Amino acid sequence: MNLYKRAYLYSIRKKGKTLTLLAFLLVMATLMLTCLSIQSATETANANIKKALLGYFTINAKTLENGIPEDTVSQILDVDGLSGRYTLRSYTYAAYFDADGNGLTINTEGAAQVPEGYENAGRVVANSNSQEDSYFTDGGFEMVEGSPITTETGSQVLIHEKFAQRNGLSVGDTMLLGNVEDKDKTIPVTVAGIFTNTEEQDSIGMAPSYDLYDNIVFTDLSTASFLLYGTEGTTNVQYGDFYVNDPDELERIMTDVQELDGVDWESCTLTRYDNDYQNAKESLEGLQNIVFIAIAVVSVICFLVLALFLTLRLRGRIHETGVYLAMGISKGSVLLQYLLEVILVAAIALVISFGTSTAISHQIGSSLLSQVTSETYETVDLTGESEAVEEEPAEDLGLAEIEVALSAEDYALVWAFGMVLCVASTALAAYPIMKMKPKSILSQMS
Amino acid sequence: MNNLGIRAILYSARKWKKTLLVFCLLLAITTLVLSGLAIADAQEEQAEEVRGTTGASFTVERDISTGGWNGNYSTQEFMSEDMIQQIAAVDGIAGYDATLITLPRIFNDKGEELAHENYSFYNYGSYNSQYHELFLSGRFELVEGTHITDDMTGSIIISRELAEWNGLKVGDTLTGVYYPQNNTPEVDMEIVGIFDVVADKDDQVNMYDDASYYAYSSYVFCSMDAAEGLIKGWGEDGEGISEAYYYVTDAAQLENVIREVQSISSINWNNYKITANDEVYQNISSALSDTGTLITTLIIVITAVSMVLIILILSMSIRSRKRETGILLAVGIAKPAVILQYVLETLLIAVVAFPLAYLSSKQVAGTLGTLFGKAAENVIVTPEHFMLVAIVGGILLVAAVLVSSISTIRLKPKQILAQME
Repeated sequence: MNLYKRAYLYSIRKKGKTLTLLAFLLVMATLMLTCLSIQSATETANANIKKALLGYFTINAKTLENGIPEDTVSQILDVDGLSGRYTLRSYTYAAYFDADGNGLTINTEGAAQVPEGYENAGRVVANSNSQEDSYFTDGGFEMVEGSPITTETGSQVLIHEKFAQRNGLSVGDTMLLGNVEDKDKTIPVTVAGIFTNTEEQDSIGMAPSYDLYDNIVFTDLSTASFLLYGTEGTTNVQYGDFYVNDPDELERIMTDVQELDGVDWESCTLTRYDNDYQNAKESLEGLQNIVFIAIAVVSVICFLVLALFLTLRLRGRIHETGVYLAMGISKGSVLLQYLLEVILVAAIALVISFGTSTAISHQIGSSLLSQVTSETYETVDLTGESEAVEEEPAEDLGLAEIEVALSAEDYALVWAFGMVLCVASTALAAYPIMKMKPKSILSQMS
Repeated sequence: MNNLGIRAILYSARKWKKTLLVFCLLLAITTLVLSGLAIADAQEEQAEEVRGTTGASFTVERDISTGGWNGNYSTQEFMSEDMIQQIAAVDGIAGYDATLITLPRIFNDKGEELAHENYSFYNYGSYNSQYHELFLSGRFELVEGTHITDDMTGSIIISRELAEWNGLKVGDTLTGVYYPQNNTPEVDMEIVGIFDVVADKDDQVNMYDDASYYAYSSYVFCSMDAAEGLIKGWGEDGEGISEAYYYVTDAAQLENVIREVQSISSINWNNYKITANDEVYQNISSALSDTGTLITTLIIVITAVSMVLIILILSMSIRSRKRETGILLAVGIAKPAVILQYVLETLLIAVVAFPLAYLSSKQVAGTLGTLFGKAAENVIVTPEHFMLVAIVGGILLVAAVLVSSISTIRLKPKQILAQME
């Protein structure tokens, strides 16, 4: 009887033992595979946290004659590691005229002074998305009518409620923005929306007329580019805020950006803003370490348990070994038979474990998804009563979806380690038995 | 030999190699579960720490809409020092600050006015300047000395530029005056710290509020008593603390803390309003709870797998003793006594393995962590973990032995012995 047949017959005859071994190996392989897929999922989660902490850098090209040209912006966006989220900004002053070229009236009440040449002028703010401008996010500005400016072109403006009233303007009307120094350089724009301020300006009496809230106009970037640089058909900007995926890479990305051609980076100021990340960095690393330690502990102990189990199993077969040896079967082929048995069962276990761990990973993945329910949070009311309001849809930060899935490499890794371990521990456990003579083995039996 | 206790001991001693193997297995698995529990706890703690770093806060400010208006300014009552401290004492608050803005002129100890870029200074009276927005956001960074804290009096921190232009250093004394023509007093302040300006003041993202007309180098922060001193004797009407900021230790608890603050009955909440700011936390909270769920799942999987492993191992070890069982039954030992002997043997091993696992798991996480250069101070195995594992593990062991003996015990001794190879 050759050893393949013996190995096969043993496994069939001792169904209970074979099944126990199969169950054992299956459980171990599933555990390892699940651990590995969880580990890679936590890496994604961690990258999401880093991204959500919104590290970014600002390019201040105010002093450049032509600002940051359009194609440089797209080159910057191509730099590896940027999240694709960015804000471009420009600031200037413009004289305001109606469609016929007559100056519009600005508010001068509360102004420290009305500088010469600025009698009809005010501050012009251009932003990729007017809703994200600090006046709206921090300064308490709110849209009253019309829609915010979200495109780079379109020759639109948003004007203050009081400015609209004072000059009889409404949404859809046309007005002109003119260069303050060169009054002939004007550009027609359409009033796309009207805003108001919900907080008082605290610098009344200190600010010159053009900085007063009433006299501010929001516009698109290309209009501002025309006013600032006289460009037509292309948009140059003064400032850009570029968000990155991993704040740890900010330094590298900023260096890469400064190597791009076409801009005199020496005259620009680049500032990094990653304070939220720096604050959280240490404890975030701690969290990552914990995942790492968990995986390390599981792996090491798994291997230990597997080796012990296989040893225990082989020790139960001392008697059998003695008989084989007494029958004249060589030690090598007995050992090979044992190895074959284990490898056969291990192969089946590893194949099945792919299915079981995929099922488990899937289960974990869907439990993560179901967590994302519409949360409500309380706003604290003036009277001290709380009322629950539906939270506005969370800002889309472009976070990666967490996938708890088994990668091919992990699967291959578990196969390789599993097999090596099975062979090694079986061989090691068999060694003391094989050393003995058949007679001493059989006489030792209980 | 009727005493099953003796039989159990004798068996374990005679089959010491096998006993040792089962012991090692039990030890390893128990260590795994204990480490797992400790890791789950550490994860929770760590996640709380991460939430703590998001700077979640709430602002208490006087409610202008419910107060009077005298044409130029609101006549709503200001925040009192008592009130600010009372709120700060609520559990879960990590730190707080409030500002009282004054625009003093500042002189050195020789009576010369300090050289700077504006007519006066923009002075934030502060309780704990480390919690001031300008420092929290990273726009300013303290580089020398200490921050202003609420137990300091007559202290001031200044910008590095100002220190350089005027040859000032920590420990020097400055004198500030707000409205000399209104007979406000001169206030002496000692420099306790110097900050660096990190932010780009050239950036025109700026809402032209008061502060924006001052260069960052003209910003100073003084202790609250000094700020109050600067306006003493001058009209109390328009000056006072109108806002205070409170930072919580755990962003997830922000709502609860606010609710507790609102239940302070000595404060007339009709005159003040509270706003919560936890944008950073809101941004990361879902990703953070994902990590938590993943780790918890991992621990659950580990625990479940460990239970299965223990059952498998014990059933295997009992099944290999079929023949012995038959002999024991054949010599007339009662079935319960045989089972009890097996249970006793297993428990004998467990009694040694469990406490040892407690000790080894205390080591294992830390060792593995440091081995790979990752500190693991947070992974701590507590006695509660041990109690849990010992009790559940003990029950599991007994159950496993009982279940695996059933198939053997059901049979007659003759059947068992005949079945043997």
